[in-house]
Amino acid sequence: MTVTKYDQQMGFFIDMQRCIGCHACEMACAECETNGQESMIHIHYVERAVSTQTTVQVCMHCEDPACANVCPADAISKDEFGVVHTAETSRCIGCSNCVLACPFGVPQKQEKAELMMKCNMCYDRTSAGKKPMCATVCPSGALFFGTREEIELKRPDSVPVDTFIFGNQEVKTKVKIMMPKGSNYLKVH
Amino acid sequence: MAKLPISAEKIIDKFGPKKHYTPMGGFEGSHEPDKLVKTHCCFCAMQCGIQLKVKDNKIAGFEPWMEFPFNEGRLCPKGVQRYLQNNHPDRLLQPYQRVEGKGFEPITWDNAMERTISEIRRIQTQYGNDSFAMLSGVSLTNEKSYMVGKFARLALKTKNLDYNGRLCMVSAGAGNKKAFGLDRISNSWADLKHAEVIIIAGSNVSECFPTLTHYIWQARDNGAKLIVVDPRVTPIARTADLHLPVKPGRDSALFGAILKQLVDNDWIDHEFIEKHTNGFEAAAEAVKDYDLDWAEKTTGIEKEKILQAATWWGKAKTSFLLHARGIEHHTKGVDNVLSCINIVLATGRIGKPYCGYGTITGQGNGQGGREHGHKCDQLPGNRDISNPEHRKYIAEVWGVEEKEIPGMGLSAYEIIEAIHRGEIKGLISICFNPIVSLPNNNFVREAFEKLEYYVAIDFFLNETARHADVILPGSLHEEEEGTVTTAEGRVVKINQAIDPPGEARKDSDILIEMARRLGAGDKFNFENSEAVFNELRVASKGGTADYYGISYEKIEKNMGVFWPCPSEDHPGTPRLWEEKKSAFPDGKARFNPVAYKEPAEVVDKDFPVILTTGRVVSQYLSGTQTRRIGKLVDQYPEPLLEIHPSLAIQYNIQNRDLITVRTRRGEATFPAQIVETIRPDTVFIPYHWGGSHSANQLTVGDLDPISKIPEFKVCACQLIPTGKKAAPAEERSAYQSS
Amino acid sequence: MLKLFQTLNKVAFIKATIAALAVVILVFIGSRNLQNFDAALITYLFGTVFAVFGIAYRYSVWLQRPPTRLYWRRSMQFLFSKDFLTYATRSIYLLFRNILFQRFIAYRSKTRWWGHFLLASGCLISFAITIPLTFGWIHFTLEPGTYDIYNANFFGFKVASFELGGPISILAFKALFFTSIPVIIGAIIMMKRRVKDGGLIATQSLDGDWLPLVLLIAISVTGLGIGYDYTFLEGRTHQFMAVTHAITVILFLIWMPFGKFFHIFQRLAQLGANLYKIEGSKRGMAVCPHTKAEFASQTHINDLKTVTKELGFDFTLADGTNHLDLSPEGKRSVLAKAHFEARKASGKFFG
Repeated sequence: MTVTKYDQQMGFFIDMQRCIGCHACEMACAECETNGQESMIHIHYVERAVSTQTTVQVCMHCEDPACANVCPADAISKDEFGVVHTAETSRCIGCSNCVLACPFGVPQKQEKAELMMKCNMCYDRTSAGKKPMCATVCPSGALFFGTREEIELKRPDSVPVDTFIFGNQEVKTKVKIMMPKGSNYLKVH
Repeated sequence: MAKLPISAEKIIDKFGPKKHYTPMGGFEGSHEPDKLVKTHCCFCAMQCGIQLKVKDNKIAGFEPWMEFPFNEGRLCPKGVQRYLQNNHPDRLLQPYQRVEGKGFEPITWDNAMERTISEIRRIQTQYGNDSFAMLSGVSLTNEKSYMVGKFARLALKTKNLDYNGRLCMVSAGAGNKKAFGLDRISNSWADLKHAEVIIIAGSNVSECFPTLTHYIWQARDNGAKLIVVDPRVTPIARTADLHLPVKPGRDSALFGAILKQLVDNDWIDHEFIEKHTNGFEAAAEAVKDYDLDWAEKTTGIEKEKILQAATWWGKAKTSFLLHARGIEHHTKGVDNVLSCINIVLATGRIGKPYCGYGTITGQGNGQGGREHGHKCDQLPGNRDISNPEHRKYIAEVWGVEEKEIPGMGLSAYEIIEAIHRGEIKGLISICFNPIVSLPNNNFVREAFEKLEYYVAIDFFLNETARHADVILPGSLHEEEEGTVTTAEGRVVKINQAIDPPGEARKDSDILIEMARRLGAGDKFNFENSEAVFNELRVASKGGTADYYGISYEKIEKNMGVFWPCPSEDHPGTPRLWEEKKSAFPDGKARFNPVAYKEPAEVVDKDFPVILTTGRVVSQYLSGTQTRRIGKLVDQYPEPLLEIHPSLAIQYNIQNRDLITVRTRRGEATFPAQIVETIRPDTVFIPYHWGGSHSANQLTVGDLDPISKIPEFKVCACQLIPTGKKAAPAEERSAYQSS
Repeated sequence: MLKLFQTLNKVAFIKATIAALAVVILVFIGSRNLQNFDAALITYLFGTVFAVFGIAYRYSVWLQRPPTRLYWRRSMQFLFSKDFLTYATRSIYLLFRNILFQRFIAYRSKTRWWGHFLLASGCLISFAITIPLTFGWIHFTLEPGTYDIYNANFFGFKVASFELGGPISILAFKALFFTSIPVIIGAIIMMKRRVKDGGLIATQSLDGDWLPLVLLIAISVTGLGIGYDYTFLEGRTHQFMAVTHAITVILFLIWMPFGKFFHIFQRLAQLGANLYKIEGSKRGMAVCPHTKAEFASQTHINDLKTVTKELGFDFTLADGTNHLDLSPEGKRSVLAKAHFEARKASGKFFG
């Protein structure tokens, strides 16, 4: 099949405090050929009544993905590059387990198609050595795709973090979040 | 007879706006396009580079253009979706004429042209040449802008030509000319990178120029302090180091007070002021009473914050001040701009690396379009139409007698007023949708209904063109080659990707054909766009906006060239004023004293709330293009009335309650959106919609005396809850402007 | 080999053995102690028995996974409840709609549905014909005393008779030729997509996506080859055609439990997922503490808390509530707020 040129030096970094809520990523995501005009990225106001803060969420590609674990149909798999792929269409039974178990709220259910879909890091592009659509168009750097050296140079006040704490659970991810210098994790609650 | 021939609803059925989406799996050929064409986004003045996928003479999608230096692939949602204006079901594919009671019926090009020419002749014979006016737009390339200017003066022989830049940044243009003798941002965006302090005044950068955010954020990564002046907490203001929530219409008070602080604390560059400027004393004198208490009372901003801003600005070694429509759309727009320039000049931070000042031009070719002569007061090269020397030079370039060039005409809104008074009887418009975009638009509509003949050139039937007698289908951005000058003064190349579909024609072919039929064909012997550009280069030579040294080849090789570029071996000028010489004969920049003035309409007992208007990220200007793109419509489907909870509680308003907003000019009803991110004395409505959803039914048509820009950004209103809840947005179809 | 025994799932092995034995017993019964069994089909029989074993084994292993087991139990519990009639009717409706007609695929893409429907229908009808024939459950005999009347017998009982050369006989004897046509068309449609769609090109694999299609076409073409030989070549190449066809079919049977074709059996779980959703919403919806809106059934959320715990995840929070109580939007917002707070604590909102 296609020769995979996935560059493992390249990382995905997010920082939702930079997000300006423009939705360019959402529109561009739909252009990713693996999605067939469905957008997989989530962008929305956090609490519009009090703030214009928006959040933007791509799949974090967990080291031990809850979505794949809870899938009753073995439809979700992680490849050798650590990319957690969207549901295998022939297997997915549309049960929504992954939608509700993902700690980041990423997978979405296409109700009529009875199919879960999620971000696969623009596999059509990243496997061909290109950047994902969302991180390519993002005008604010809330989504960034590049090397660790690159981002550390560009953002001297921040450090990439790959550990999230949800109560008793610690989750490690392939996609990193930019945190204030000195942070080792993001404690969500 | 420029009334609607049938109901708006029936016109909408046939001509839209209809929402257009990419089919599931993409357009045919998007995976294997015939070619990728490097060009630019058709929307704002950032002019982001983009590659269009072309399959069988249709646009099938886009691919980011990573190499273009300004945006390196970055885009906003409008840029991502821009390709959907192509292949659009609403696209005008043939000429139409108005038939009373029946709507618009197809006619041949020959008939459309013949009828137009005979109407022009009839009206001009009966009422005089200037009774036929032309309105143009700066979505047009430099070449087309130049041609429109020449066409109106030499073929149509009217002085009444103006353009929609009149409601964009003319206050900034006029202010810059008064202070520097030249109208362009002083630095390229690259100079934002190491500015220590950045002031953004009256610009929702995050929604109107999203791709500029990258440069602001980059500066902040390098330690810059960001100060945002805006009545609302826009996304760019949310994380700012300092947000100054100014009361709409009080900007010059704020900048006057800052100037006073700079002077009082001696945070000024004496040497620079002494050597390179004039008029400092008068400017300082004008603000001597603007102490912090007065400023707090006038602007509604806490005085500590004003002092903080002045301190940061005063002590910085490098800085950048940017402003946009928020301070320009005022009856004192030029004053506001000058008050900003005064604090830049007082600190001497201009003409150096990472020290800059400028307006963020709004429209796609807002910069180039305001330089090459389709303004009522201007000739190419940003020359003055009233200046005998300038007239003489252009007359030579055009090969006509100087007296054949008409003098200064009316500005855009004045043209509408003259139509309303019955002085102007006929109109050609291209790329302009004044019934949505001009203030007090019930008045504007009445004016259009009085026209004896109106011909519209456009690619979609916009709300104004619904009033036309004849509609000529023109070309989209991707259907004709040309150049555009971006907000940073970079001249870039627009490449033709496809041919106009159906019987639609290139805009320039339409103008040339009309000129030929009007007997001025010999002045329009252009083989192609490059030939027009080459004439423009000569016409601009020696003017302040000098393009003489720029060629198509040079633009493509360098991915853009910054004007001024006076000779072929000149590399272009990304940073102005490095020689510390303004464009005035004495080489000095000018301070202009700015005494604070109130807005045209202030709140009172009857109209107690301030109304301001603006944009949303998913829509562009009057929405002719963006209200037809499905996902952009769905992102923000209808205008909402933003209102602070403390004001909402006074009127007992809940979210999505329908609220009638009434001003002295009209009223309109909007669903409420209660947010803490706006001043409690102000409500905000975005303006991109027409018909009953149009915010410009409410705005005021008073003009700045110098720039003639209308005061979109402030007026007084009443809020009247209707007691009803709004139906879901998708049922209200605001995008159609019925 | 040792490893195989170590990883052998005993429960599954027993179940699979029972299933395989059951098939063998049914073959004996259905073929009247093999007297109606067509010896020429013996290789097919072995292949099928292996496939049954493999499928049952894998199905059983699959059902032992916590989320699958839970779904299975819940489905059975809801189906055989007081609402049996409603849910049984619903299941039958969905069986037609989603399993036999795969209507849900149409919402992914129309051409894809056509491709899949043709492919699936061709295969299912072919199964319905070949399996009873292979097992000797159905066989045809000449009506004694006639030359052109055939009887069809099922489990040795006569169920129909028809005239040789009549329409029914053509349908009965040539059915597989007819079903191979939609399979070929369907497979070509699916292949065409895999050549043209950039997304599929990026993610497809040879063994997971292409070989199954190639194999189905191979089965159909070799099957047609037998007919071609019989009709036009007077059986001169019969041996070759029969062997190649047998090889492709047996490859298919052996591969069924491992590869892509296993989804045919997994798909049935979709019925359960539907019942689960309906019953769940009847029992009450969960409300997201952030968005204040309903987003899933409370049963589903509670079940997931159990399942995730079994799988080694513990999203319990300090206050006893659970991260999974939040809707997807709520989770995203909470994370963004936490990030905002972390930035704020550092003294700058931006960095």
